[in-house]
Formats: sequence, C-alpha cells, structure tokens
Amino acid sequence: MPATIRSRLFLLRAVCRWGFVSCLALSLAIGLAACAVEPPADDPEAVAEFKELDDPLEPTNRVFYVVYDRFDTYVLEPLARTYRKVVPDPVRTGLTNTLSNLNTPVRLGNDILEGKPRRAGDTTMRFLINSTVGVLGVFDVATGLGYPKHDNSFGLTLANWGVPDGPYLFLPIVGPSSPRDLTGFAVDTVGDPFYWIGQGAVVKALDWTRFYVESVNSREKALDPIQSIKRTALDPYATFRSLYRQYRASQLTKLREDNRATVPVWFPQIAGQEINPAPR
Amino acid sequence: MTEVTPRMFHRRAFLLLTSTFSLSGLLTGRMAAFAQGTERATAFVKTTGDKLVAVLNGSGSTEAKRRELTIIIDAAVDVDGVGRFCLGRFWRQASADQQKRYLELFHQVLVTSVTAKLGEYQGIKVTVGRARQQEEEQIVSTIVERPNNPPAAMDWVITQPTTAPKIIDLIAEGTSLRITQRSDYASYLQRNNNSIDALIGAMRQQVAENS
Repeated sequence: MPATIRSRLFLLRAVCRWGFVSCLALSLAIGLAACAVEPPADDPEAVAEFKELDDPLEPTNRVFYVVYDRFDTYVLEPLARTYRKVVPDPVRTGLTNTLSNLNTPVRLGNDILEGKPRRAGDTTMRFLINSTVGVLGVFDVATGLGYPKHDNSFGLTLANWGVPDGPYLFLPIVGPSSPRDLTGFAVDTVGDPFYWIGQGAVVKALDWTRFYVESVNSREKALDPIQSIKRTALDPYATFRSLYRQYRASQLTKLREDNRATVPVWFPQIAGQEINPAPR
Repeated sequence: MTEVTPRMFHRRAFLLLTSTFSLSGLLTGRMAAFAQGTERATAFVKTTGDKLVAVLNGSGSTEAKRRELTIIIDAAVDVDGVGRFCLGRFWRQASADQQKRYLELFHQVLVTSVTAKLGEYQGIKVTVGRARQQEEEQIVSTIVERPNNPPAAMDWVITQPTTAPKIIDLIAEGTSLRITQRSDYASYLQRNNNSIDALIGAMRQQVAENS
C-alpha cells in the first residue's frame, strides 16, 4: 500500500498549496461535536473494534470518499492505465528514482528533526551518489552500495515527537489523512526549497509537471492493490482507513526501531559487536 | 529462635541447589523450545512459500491452480482461527448455524482472494529471512519480489511452531491482513444493523463475483 498512500500524500501537498487547509479547522469543529464512549477494557474484542471503527467524522468523510472515488475512477485511474501502457517500465522506474531524488531536502530535514543520524546519512549519501553516478537521480545506484531508501515526512516527525494523529480524515482529491499528517505536509510543502525557488513561468511549469507526473506515477504503482480492494472488500472505505492507519503506525515503529550507531563497524573499540544491525 | 543445625543447613543448601538447577533447566528448556520453534517456523514458511510459488508460477489451468491452492491453504493456514478473529465480538453472538455458514464462506473468501490475483502473482519469488518470537507466536520475515515491482517486506505470523505450525496472519509492509479484514467486516456489520446474516449474504455475493 505504500505507493497508494504516497500518491495521496503527494496530492495532499498540492492541495495545501491551493490553501485548502481551512477545511481542517472545519473538520475539527465537527469532530469535537461527536465523541463515542469506549467499551469496558475487559472485552478486548469490543475495544479493538471500537478503535478500528473510531471515526467521528465518518459521515463527512464518506461523502468525500464518494467524490474522491468518482474522480479516481474517471480521471486518475484511466490516466495511470494509459501511462502504464505507453511508458516502458525502465522509464517509469527512472522517473520514480528522479522524483524520489528531488524529494531529498524534505526527507533530510525530517531525518535530522527526528534525531536519526544514520537515516540522515543514508539520505545524504543517496543524493550524492544518485545525482552523480546515477545520472541526475535516474538510476538508484546507492541502494546497492548499502544506502537503502526510506520515506519521510513532517507528519512522521510529529508522530515521533509524540503528537497524536487526531480524528481520521478523508478529504476530496487528497484521500486518507489525519490532522497531524495534513499539518505535516503543509510544513513539508513550505519547507521544500523548490517551493521558494524562482518565480518565472518556466519554473512554475516544471513544478506543475513534477506534480502531475508524481501523481500519475504513484497511482500507476497502486493500480493492482486498489483494484483488488475495490473488488473484494465489503466496505472499501473502511478497508482504506484501516490500511492507512496501520501503514502510518508501522512507519513510526520502523523509525523508532532504527537506532543504528553512527560509529563505523571497523572502529577498533567496538569491532566485532553488532552495532549496526540492519533496520527491519 | 530455632538453632540452625549443620544438617538443616545442608538440607537448605541442597534445596537451593536443586531448585536453582531445575529453574535453570526449565529456562534452558524453554529457550531451546523457542530456538526450535524459530527454526521450525522458518522451515515451515520456506516449504509453504515454495509450494505456493510453484503453483502460482506453474503452467496449470486456473481451475487446477485453484484446486491446488485450496489444498495448500487448508494445510498451512488456521482458517477457522483466522475466521473467528475476523468476526471479532460477533463470533460470540452468532448462532452455531451462523458460525458454520460463516466459516465455510470465509474459507472460500480466502481461496478466492488468492486465485482472483493469479495474474498479478505470475513470476513471484519469496526469500525467507529471519524469524522472531512475539509472545506465543513466531514472526518470519520474507521479501516478496514480483516482476516490475519493488521488493516488498512480508511477515508471516505462525502459531504453535513446535507442534503443527499454522499461518494466522500475513503482514505486508506493516499492514496486517486479518486486522484489515476484521475492520472491513466490523464496518459492514455496523452499517447493516449488526446483522450476521447480512454479512454472510454479502460474503456469498463477493465469492460468486470473484470466482
């Protein structure tokens, strides 16, 4: 599901750019009005069910889901299918790599804010290697050299700092989100140097091209899983909600468990000890 | 105060020694069982993964593949256990007849969910990695590779690794299959007056549409 969520998150950035953040305040206001009571702790199944279904904004979210689903069915999905048919696979991979490389500043900033020096090192080395040997980021040479790719966002940084996600949000065009992730991506958008570079028509055109290509490219990656969910789930809305929450939670766990040391393995005093366990 | 005689002292020392030995024996035994469990779970996932890959990449007809997959799923997955889990608290509320009908359909849903994606799984490759203990279960990490797709991390959750190992969950990139399924059913029930018969009806329709 990561590609699906990434595509939604990227769309989210664009919407923030259009100044739609005000709908967050509106959603929060409605959210505060509806609070359900948690079942007693001695019934773990009921508690689990309550947590999974906890969605105070569900009526509004479902309306937006229908709007989103129409947009996806009639615009995004056909575009992604055409893209898959027309653009050969190696070119698509190259584009994915290039787009990921362009996202380096945001990723690096968040790695640092999260206090994860090894992740920041991976991001830096990936950028240096892939931008040069990898021909402006088209080829991912760095992964093979021991600098694996990871995703990052300010929403994740906030989560790492202990900020709760708040009520589930399903927004038009944006897709699954939460007040925390929405805030995070507003910050990521403003924090991206490309947001501030240049004012000319060419830069603007390039910026929008990047946005469209990234949206279609991410949707192409999610074609099979989304199709299978829509076909097999009894309630696709609930399935996407569950997957989104689980995926965000797993990203946070992965981040918190990545405590690789910054000392090189050959350093005499600790040579032979497992100080650089591979992240799970 | 009682006087501690040399005999009593010996007896205490003896008791202490034997209890320490038996405790350490117990611990070592438990650790050995864990280690054995981890090994067995890894071997089990390897064998099951190989069997699945062989069928998925095989040249048989869809119908033949479906038959073979059903046999593998029956043998390797704790279908009834997963089914009960996915129904959550509603399992207790269901009548014996509803439970029976639900489990039969759940079994078909599981097989259909695999067979419906036969084309997608073509050329699949599963590499088994490390296993770890989590409470009573073993979690075996694997990397699943499909042509034109980046490698994906998939964890297999195995129960009873020392007796008859069974799969109870698959966790793809941090998302649990059974939790997602439970969420889907719970939401459907909530929107249909908590009617188990309505859920069974929807499942039947879902199987008919996808097989």
